[in-house]
Amino acid sequence: MTATPATESRAPDPPAPARSPRRPARDGLGRPLLGALGILAFLGLWEAVPRLGVVSDRYLPPATEVLVALGARATTPGFWAAVGDTLAGWALGLAIAFTAAVVLGFTLGALPRIRAYTTSTVDFLRPIPSVALIPLAVLLYGTDIRSTLLLVVYACFWLIYIQVLYGVADVDPVAEQTARSYGLGRLARVRHVVWPTTLPYLMTGLRLAAAVALILSITAQLVIGSPGIGREIAVAQSSGAVESVYALIVATGALGVVINTGVRVLERRVLRWHTSVRGEATA
Amino acid sequence: MKRPLRTTALATAATLAVASCGTGARTTDDPDGDGLTPVTVGVLPITAVAPLYLGVERGLFEERGLDVTIETGGGGATTVPRVVSGELDFAFGNVVSLMIAREQGLPLTMVANGMTTTGDADTDYSALVVPPDSPIQSAADLEGATVAIDNLRNIGDTSVRNSVRVGGGDPTDVDFVELAFPDMPGALSNGQVDAAWVVEPFLSISLAQGATPVAANFVDLHPDLSIAAYFTGDDLIGSDPDTVDAFSEAMDASLDYATDHPDETAGVLTSFTEIDPDLVEDLRWPRFPSEIDREALETVAALMVTDGLIDSAPDLDTMIR
Repeated sequence: MTATPATESRAPDPPAPARSPRRPARDGLGRPLLGALGILAFLGLWEAVPRLGVVSDRYLPPATEVLVALGARATTPGFWAAVGDTLAGWALGLAIAFTAAVVLGFTLGALPRIRAYTTSTVDFLRPIPSVALIPLAVLLYGTDIRSTLLLVVYACFWLIYIQVLYGVADVDPVAEQTARSYGLGRLARVRHVVWPTTLPYLMTGLRLAAAVALILSITAQLVIGSPGIGREIAVAQSSGAVESVYALIVATGALGVVINTGVRVLERRVLRWHTSVRGEATA
Repeated sequence: MKRPLRTTALATAATLAVASCGTGARTTDDPDGDGLTPVTVGVLPITAVAPLYLGVERGLFEERGLDVTIETGGGGATTVPRVVSGELDFAFGNVVSLMIAREQGLPLTMVANGMTTTGDADTDYSALVVPPDSPIQSAADLEGATVAIDNLRNIGDTSVRNSVRVGGGDPTDVDFVELAFPDMPGALSNGQVDAAWVVEPFLSISLAQGATPVAANFVDLHPDLSIAAYFTGDDLIGSDPDTVDAFSEAMDASLDYATDHPDETAGVLTSFTEIDPDLVEDLRWPRFPSEIDREALETVAALMVTDGLIDSAPDLDTMIR
């Protein structure tokens, strides 16, 4: 969101209608403001529900109490170690899935025959929930971070891989033929024709996978007991520390917002030449 | 720019390679060169494992040449396979789960006691509770009631059925539902279940919310019932009996120490649980004798056969080391 003005100024040929400079400025300020208002409204509702006795505050403490508990927790090194472990599982898992999906996606995307050969297998494997692999992960790696990675990579790989396949399939045949007739080699065509077409798809896949990777690394920690925020939640739960449980859940949500914002900024930077971003910034 | 990047990549790869070797390490390895044998123990972060933490903190394991790593991950369903595969050296599990595992041919042996009921219905750390104003006054009234337990076909339903039987009711008529212990106080006050089998700290939490205990299921079963034990795989007993002996001795010493120093046992809780310090003072504790009462386990085994959890009672001589 904050990148909007920068994106616009760097865009190669902004059409710049008369009132366009005001729009990004308003977006830049207005969107975060609206987002913050949304969070405040949500916190207000959360505060009211237990205070009014709609649900017992033993099982849903009011937002203020949870935020105080989170604040107290944020001063402990253990909390940040858990955040670090969670982010390590997230980043490493996402990186592995991304690399594997890009390499395989571009390779198979360029080989329609093999792609057709693998389609049914992919369709079979893709809907299998990653959490169903927990027993396998535990058996192979115990509570090691590799258990988390197994789940994260499995879930994220398909999200990105399918996007890459769609992207490669979306290459304009005229552009492809033109490149061919100009004598571009296979690699050059991938670089100048296939890659730019696929990139928006790839970024969408990455954005989806970034959120899913966080969900699964927390889930793995919660269920398997790998170190991280998820395990902290499990310990707090088995100790009957309800406020701590919610505090950690809020921390997870905050982490999700940070990650999503980061990926969106990245997406805008990478795709600043693309109409989807240029259009958004200047339309 | 390129060089450092490549060096980093190589270093990372090397670290990963070393790390992956680490998990395959046998317990006789001594990576730190301090003469201690590293052992991993899998437990749940519950009050009952306080003696283990206390023993490690007091150096009782180090004295016997063991460098203990405690892993709090996963429940009983994951610790058993991890011990069988040798990935965990020891683990903490309830005796019914262990007898079922043994019946299924898994090579597991108890090497130390875990915790034992107090034998006193008013102080035991486990109880069947009902919400305030419940018509249920005793275990016999549970006929036709819905009772929450943490795991079906395990120590919960077996001991609750026994309490109903002892109270003069018909245990076949009790409807068991599976709920996690942390969810039980809520389900109870919400009326989703008629009664719940709770252990600490949820027993104290339920009692503070006005729940009434109607039976002490473990006490009803046997006053000296070992509820849980530390166990290992028979592979480790075969390959490294000295380490297993050292663990048994250190664990026994830890249990004795915990029995003699209840304040320290309570104090160590904050290091591995998040139990509210105000609650710790009121918590009910199991006993921590170092002996596993064989006669009590025979009683459990007989009940398990009656309830159809196992076909025949296990040979306790080979199950307890």
